[in-house]
Amino acid sequence: MTTETTTYRERRVRSLAFARIGDFASRWTFMLPAAIIMIAMLAYPISYMTQISFSRFDLMTFSPGEWVGWDNYAKVLADYRFWSSLRVTAVYLVFALPLQIILGFGIAYLIHAEWRGRGLIRGLFIIPMVVAPVVAGGIWRMMLDPLWGIANYFLGFFGIGPFDWFGDPNLAMASVVIIDTWRWTPFIVLIASAALLSLPRDVFEAAEIDGANWWQMLCYIALPLLAPIIAATFVVRWLGAVKMFDIVLSATLGGPGAATKVINLFIYEEAFRSLRFAESSAMAVLVLVGTTILTGIFLWGSRRLENEP
Amino acid sequence: MTRKIQKIGRRTVVVSGLAVMAAAALGAGASAQDAGLGTAEHPVEIRVSANESFANQMQTLVVPEFNKVYPNIKVTVDSVPFVEYLAKAMLDITSPSPLYDVAIVDEKWVPQLASTGGLADLKSGDIAAWTDVGYDWDDFYQAALSSGEWSGVQYGVPLRSNLLLMFYNKTLFEKAGLPAPTPELTWTEYLEQLPKLVQDTNGDGQVDAWGIDTYFIREPNTPAIWQAILSGNGGRFFDENAQPAFNNEAGISALETHKKLLDYAPPGALSHGFTESLQAFRQGQVATLFNWVSVYKGTAIDAATTTLKPEEVGVQALPVGSVSGGTYRGVWNGTVPANSQNKQAAWAFLQWLSSKEGEQFYANELGIAPARQSTLNSTPKYDWLVPVFTAMRQGFEVAAQGEMWTLRHPRSDAALQVITDETARALANEIPVAEALQIAADRIPEALQ
Repeated sequence: MTTETTTYRERRVRSLAFARIGDFASRWTFMLPAAIIMIAMLAYPISYMTQISFSRFDLMTFSPGEWVGWDNYAKVLADYRFWSSLRVTAVYLVFALPLQIILGFGIAYLIHAEWRGRGLIRGLFIIPMVVAPVVAGGIWRMMLDPLWGIANYFLGFFGIGPFDWFGDPNLAMASVVIIDTWRWTPFIVLIASAALLSLPRDVFEAAEIDGANWWQMLCYIALPLLAPIIAATFVVRWLGAVKMFDIVLSATLGGPGAATKVINLFIYEEAFRSLRFAESSAMAVLVLVGTTILTGIFLWGSRRLENEP
Repeated sequence: MTRKIQKIGRRTVVVSGLAVMAAAALGAGASAQDAGLGTAEHPVEIRVSANESFANQMQTLVVPEFNKVYPNIKVTVDSVPFVEYLAKAMLDITSPSPLYDVAIVDEKWVPQLASTGGLADLKSGDIAAWTDVGYDWDDFYQAALSSGEWSGVQYGVPLRSNLLLMFYNKTLFEKAGLPAPTPELTWTEYLEQLPKLVQDTNGDGQVDAWGIDTYFIREPNTPAIWQAILSGNGGRFFDENAQPAFNNEAGISALETHKKLLDYAPPGALSHGFTESLQAFRQGQVATLFNWVSVYKGTAIDAATTTLKPEEVGVQALPVGSVSGGTYRGVWNGTVPANSQNKQAAWAFLQWLSSKEGEQFYANELGIAPARQSTLNSTPKYDWLVPVFTAMRQGFEVAAQGEMWTLRHPRSDAALQVITDETARALANEIPVAEALQIAADRIPEALQ
């Protein structure tokens, strides 16, 4: 009896081991092509950039030259413009991300109800996403122009303004946030709409029978169920927003003063205008490391929300 | 004129042909590898990199005219955005086999590109041998020709010689009860006039016209405005050792003047640059505009792009400071990469473009700013060019007198970026003018390393 049990256990352990190996092999069989492409497309450029960041960039040969250790990093960290650009980027993220998430999920919740033309409105929402960022920046620049723009003209009917949208440092940042929100809120609306459709109907029906109103269903059922998706959407949008560059380039050029000079614009200017490729690579590496750490924290938070009972 | 060009062309072909034969007889390796000027059976193809603002015009209007003289040289002009131009040009000319045979570059990039050894000397070696005997180097305004020179070597020829000038709307001056500006107008007089030029022209109680619009935005052309003011007052931006010379009373006063202009500029002018200021002027909303002479045709003549009539628009150098009027030179130079395999054809193209005949064509027909004295002293084909030529002559003279151009240094762009940053902060009131200039002066030596 004991021998039979031992043999059975051995067999079971062996088959479990085989199953694990098989599972591991099948996972990697699917993942390998993507992994190879990722390494080729990402690892090489990143390692080359890192190499440049530790070198003196030789403009004669247009390649990294002498190894200078941490010199470029020291220069960057001592440059007030680097810290100022990081601050500007942080301000933009602090305002733009919550606004887009709240608006996106809010609009999705409002259009979730059955009504005629809902499909058309959903389709129209996609338009800002397919407009090139540079075009979006240019169009909004015209609309917000104090001399010719429609925004001040329209606000004038309500006795508001006129505003110097791109001449006032605070309003310039607000303009960038508005343009970015116009572009990206529809993306969040699409994700949120899909998430709302996947919510279990029976829970809402049960709440309705129990006498819960619209507001209670939103606060006590929809939002808790959506929390992991909101967190995941935040991470996806964060990764996009932290790369902010093109709208600023086309709408404000980082001005007035340095009010909208986000870190990516600064890196770009240092690299392609000042030809300081080594210092700009060091900045890019620092930003990459910082972004990776923050993304890791957000992902950890997002997983915790998903695993909450 | 076409006959003249053909005559020059034939002469060039004969001289160039003789030069090639002589070089071949001497066994000159580089010439032997060069593709020459092409034949009907084997045309030469050259590629030209040009800024996006004029690449299309060059391809569609200039190249066909060139091909009347050199039918066996096929020219493709590629449009490159300004902000990407320098990095792309650096990458290309340092290559053993560059993609481009001609690079039309902004004057501030000439030292940078020349210092890599990637540009050909246009006045010696094969290129000198291929140069037409009638090609008159001395006819160029020195202020324009020197823009293509670095360390005593001529690497570029001026193809589009822009000058920063003052445009004025005579109607708005008249409505304000002020006399139209003359070249003798001083900064003091101009600053006294500006408040009167902020006016309500239609009597509805709303201000609808302003005194000035120009570059105030955070971009590399903006410091040119206060540099022009500084130069007119006898100050200098950089000394002969490329060290900052603006961090003093004269520099502070010049940047303060630039900043003061904002008081008389339209709402939102702090974010105005080339396009916005030009539009405001073309729509009759500002009385004066500091912008490049190349915009004159679209501002005063072309009804499709302006609301103004030719008789309403005047142009001259910026107001006179304690020493002279002000301007700022911005010349696009034609250069030939040293490693080009089609140097002879490339030089034939540049030589024709910058010849007396080529300049006459594009100055008269396309309104492109010329650089030759013979062109600017000639009677233009169209009457509207008369004030432009007059203003340009004045501009070249004051530019040469006050060295009103950008820093000449292999790292000039890095220094200019520092000045751009600090100018923007001062104009936006983020920091006082004196502090901005101090920071810029402190940072520039490192940027130039």
